[in-house]
Amino acid sequence: MTSYSKEVIADLVAGKLPWPQTRRIMSAYKDDDRFFKYIQVLQDRVGWNDPILLPVSEHLFICDSPEGRVTKCECGHSFGDYRKNWKLSASIIVRDTEEALREIYPTSDIPDPQWMEIREFICPQCGTLHEVEAAAPGYPIVHDFEPDLEGFYREWLGRPLE
Amino acid sequence: MLNKPTAPIRERLIESERLMEQTGCYNGITELSLRNDDPLRFETLHTKLRAYCVSAREMARRISASPGVREVGEMVVAIYTPEGDAIALSNGIMVHVHTMSRFIKWMIRNGYEENPGIRDGDIFANNDAFIGTVQVPDVMDVMPIFYDGILVGWAGAVCHELEAGGITPGGDVALAQERFTEGLFVCAEKVGENDELRRDYVIRCERNLRMPIYWVLDEKAKVASCIDMRESVKSLIDEIGVDYWLKVSKEFIEEGRRAQLARTRQLTVPGKYRGHTFYGHVTEGKPGYQPLGDPNWLYNIPIEMEVGLDGKITMDFEGTQPWGYHSMNCTPAGMDGGMFVTLTQHMNFEGLVNDGAWMATELKLPHGTWTNPDNELVATATSWALLLPAYGVFQRLLSRSFVARGFVEEAFVGQVNSPMIEMGGVSQYGTPFGMAHFECAAAGSGALAIKDGLDTAYVGWNPESDMGNIEIWEQNMPMLYIGRSIVPNSGGAGKYRGGCSFESTWLINKTDHLRLVTSEHSSRVFDNAGMCGGYPAPTCQKHRAVRNSNVFELAGQGRPLAHTPGQNPYHSDFEMRFEGEFELVEGPYITAPHKSGDIFSHSYNGGGGYGDVLERDAEKTAWDVENGFLTKEAAEAVFGIVLHEDADGMPLPDFDATARLRKRKRAERLEKAVPVSQWLEKERERVKHADFAPEVRKMYASAMKLSQRFTREFDEFWQVDGKAVFAKDAK
Repeated sequence: MTSYSKEVIADLVAGKLPWPQTRRIMSAYKDDDRFFKYIQVLQDRVGWNDPILLPVSEHLFICDSPEGRVTKCECGHSFGDYRKNWKLSASIIVRDTEEALREIYPTSDIPDPQWMEIREFICPQCGTLHEVEAAAPGYPIVHDFEPDLEGFYREWLGRPLE
Repeated sequence: MLNKPTAPIRERLIESERLMEQTGCYNGITELSLRNDDPLRFETLHTKLRAYCVSAREMARRISASPGVREVGEMVVAIYTPEGDAIALSNGIMVHVHTMSRFIKWMIRNGYEENPGIRDGDIFANNDAFIGTVQVPDVMDVMPIFYDGILVGWAGAVCHELEAGGITPGGDVALAQERFTEGLFVCAEKVGENDELRRDYVIRCERNLRMPIYWVLDEKAKVASCIDMRESVKSLIDEIGVDYWLKVSKEFIEEGRRAQLARTRQLTVPGKYRGHTFYGHVTEGKPGYQPLGDPNWLYNIPIEMEVGLDGKITMDFEGTQPWGYHSMNCTPAGMDGGMFVTLTQHMNFEGLVNDGAWMATELKLPHGTWTNPDNELVATATSWALLLPAYGVFQRLLSRSFVARGFVEEAFVGQVNSPMIEMGGVSQYGTPFGMAHFECAAAGSGALAIKDGLDTAYVGWNPESDMGNIEIWEQNMPMLYIGRSIVPNSGGAGKYRGGCSFESTWLINKTDHLRLVTSEHSSRVFDNAGMCGGYPAPTCQKHRAVRNSNVFELAGQGRPLAHTPGQNPYHSDFEMRFEGEFELVEGPYITAPHKSGDIFSHSYNGGGGYGDVLERDAEKTAWDVENGFLTKEAAEAVFGIVLHEDADGMPLPDFDATARLRKRKRAERLEKAVPVSQWLEKERERVKHADFAPEVRKMYASAMKLSQRFTREFDEFWQVDGKAVFAKDAK
């Protein structure tokens, strides 16, 4: 069975693994013990101790906290119950003018702000940009991911959550 | 047993489907007995079949005259069961493996065994998307494989034709608003017998196409590849026996189905994933469009993907827009094809790749939408315009699951539209001509979760993306390249940027009548997106042309020319270097013919970014600036990376200044940002009053007309009565 050390997984996640090695990992049979090593790598990275149950974005994790299972930023800020859309508890910058869009697209054609805006969802504590939505004005905010957390741990990982 | 080999093929198909329904397993195969008995033999046989396909395709590419097939590999071949399920396939435009499956099944269901008959040596062709293809230029040929008088399978091949004889030259016929202007249709037709194309069919092609040499020689290439695969399969059956063949070929598919379910359980996380993208179709004031509907449309493409605990992936397009009088509609066959080609790239990188993977998924395509029109007269000539953005969403949804599961090396921000340019008129040789220019098969890809996207090297429909050689394109069209360049800042910004696009600038040469047409050209909105904090790549770029330019005079004087439109969106290099009549055209390019001395530029698209821009590596960025992928100004303004120049004028990162600038940018974000709840309160007032552009209002009204769920979710989110808000726009 394919397996890699925690250090290799840490370098892979950080984008630091040399490309030939990364390429071999991409081409090889997948390592079935990846998930828990990955969680360990992420747990080492964050500055808090609540156990990570599932990453949902680059710096957002569902974790087991004293207040229950919550979505938490890497900085420690909690967005509340993991079943609710964390974006609704975030801060937002909306680029809905030509000037604001031009800041990100300095040399290219840009959308018509009457037809489309950019919404930047930001952690109110550390300012990390967690997600960007490009949507028509008035489009409801998307709830990106509702994991079947219980089913995942119970049936796919064989370690039911308590 | 109704599905015994001597039973009529329609009964065999019905029985096969009944067995699948009854057991949940392909053809009722609940146990992979041949695989279990001798796994090595099982694997070896499938590898042989795959080798037959790859070899047949390579041989056929050398028969073709089309640079689309020869240069950029716009072809795929596959071997099917008698019922039309793919057992093994070649590389290439794998989108068509399942569309051909639909074509074969359509003939079986429609009684082709009785009339026109299915006999050894017959050749059947199709390019009707409602029977089984994506768009008119995707012409497929299939031939039955008989062994001792028994139908034991099919060999099939597809080429994308560069000219389809529609209202505009090429195959992605942007101006088609109904099927009657899309081009030459061949609707599940018997076009040959005894291994030979019928002469009357070839004559029909020769008399209805602008450039028949491409289509006709591609037909010969496809027939040759089908015969090659057929003979290989028959030789294999000589070795293993017909009973073993009939059994093992179906076990291959069931194995493929099980492998897909297992891979989903291995690589993803169960649950619901959601995303969306948009497409802007602007035709107002363009010549040739009939006033059959609104001239400008905004399409929303929302997707909900569910990964079940059994590993089944379901994709639901509920809430999207209705079909329209334009060429971007898609059929269920095209939607299947999009799903299949995406799966082959992202999940089926090992094991047996065949129709089994498709059977482990489900598409929910709401009736009456562009994904499943309730009118078979609609045009589908440019269905890729909506398909590519849609399956880019699918790639991001899958990638979210890969990131959650830890397989970050597989996460990919997705494919993008790559606008096509097509042309026709009088060639540089003084002859009539028409063709699609396939350098579009090399856009920028979305970023990965661990590295930047591929620059000028990826499109979703063909994993072996290639832009082709300039010299070959120049041989085939009356235009000379005066520039083919990477477009700086064309990848979406992020910790890992999207792949950059390129743009070509041509001098029209040795013709006084050249029609240029473009398609898949979204306007006014992004039709791609970023992920995990990354930004979308820029929108499609407008077309720039100079008519009656002074290029020959400048060249004669040895003065500099403009080789790209440059980096100022408000004032192009063309205007600085050339004299003449300047054009700036949004959306599909449909204008008066060009002639020798005119200049034209066409830009392809980059991919979306991944992760927060303020985490991008400064050294990598310096390399990007040095090599023209980013401008120094964008590095500082967008990514917060300060670059100085070394003694040779090469960019060098200033790490301390970068850290200071990023700290400031982060603080500025927090100052500018407001709580989402506060923004929603303000936005709700806007929604209540439908304070939007007419096209935006129409989009909401149309989505609500077709989808109760979209209406309910909109109403719940904004606490409004959406139908009442957009009542005026629903008319």
